[in-house]
Amino acid sequence: MPRIVREAEIDWEGTTARGSGVVRAVSTGAFELPSTIASRVDLVEGKTSPEELLAAAHATCFVTSLGSELARVGTPPERMSVHCTITMDEVEGDGHRIVGSAISATAVVPDADDASFAQALADAHAGCPFSALIGASATVTVEGSLEGGSA
Amino acid sequence: MTERTAHVNWTGSLLEGRGTIDRVGSGAFGPLDVTWASRAEEPEGLTSPEELIAAAHASCFSMALSSGLAKAGTPAERLETTATVTFVPGTGITKIALGVRGEVPELDEAAFREYAEAAKAGCPVSKALAGVPEITLDAALA
Repeated sequence: MPRIVREAEIDWEGTTARGSGVVRAVSTGAFELPSTIASRVDLVEGKTSPEELLAAAHATCFVTSLGSELARVGTPPERMSVHCTITMDEVEGDGHRIVGSAISATAVVPDADDASFAQALADAHAGCPFSALIGASATVTVEGSLEGGSA
Repeated sequence: MTERTAHVNWTGSLLEGRGTIDRVGSGAFGPLDVTWASRAEEPEGLTSPEELIAAAHASCFSMALSSGLAKAGTPAERLETTATVTFVPGTGITKIALGVRGEVPELDEAAFREYAEAAKAGCPVSKALAGVPEITLDAALA
């Protein structure tokens, strides 16, 4: 398989407390986003944070993993929807840590039943590189259900 | 405790279908389209989990470094950070390369490198990604 390289950059002006940054997708130009420390600690409309970018990365990684597991067992999905919540907390003696990532998935899968979908979720979690990476130091939870019931 | 959320929709198969990072909690971005091809081959303007991880790591590192420099009484005027994530399908993320150029009055380059190493070791995203086999840092004054 090829090596794939993706690059992003941030320019930060001033101190953490009062300054602000702009984070850009260098490889693709797909985004250019303002970020501040205030928006990292308290949710600020329209300003992203490292944790929000990780939530987007994990949701995207997981959805591709789930789709490939469902296809592998002969029940390709028509549509999948994945929600990810990343939690950062202060850990005594260790400062701020990313302590959790909670994945919640719903999908329309014509030939799957509840049991086979649950298995696909477990396999997607095991196969998603980001789940493995963040799972080494944070708690990753996965839940999900079929939309419109099972076949 | 801080929570951040993102929501992604996908239609169709992995190879032929496509997804959208539909919305995030802050509303700062989305919808952003993603496909398997944009992740594993040429991006053609579409983002990918690895690019988002690069953005998360670059921004986390910059905040940690800026905070460390300010606490030491030598605040940065400007930091320019690049994170490059290498992904091998089937294996995962094999490398993250951080590069930073700083404008920091009253600080020499050796001291700047030390603060940059501390930010690399201590920022929450670095800790969360500690399983990446290789994380490198190239730090210098601008």
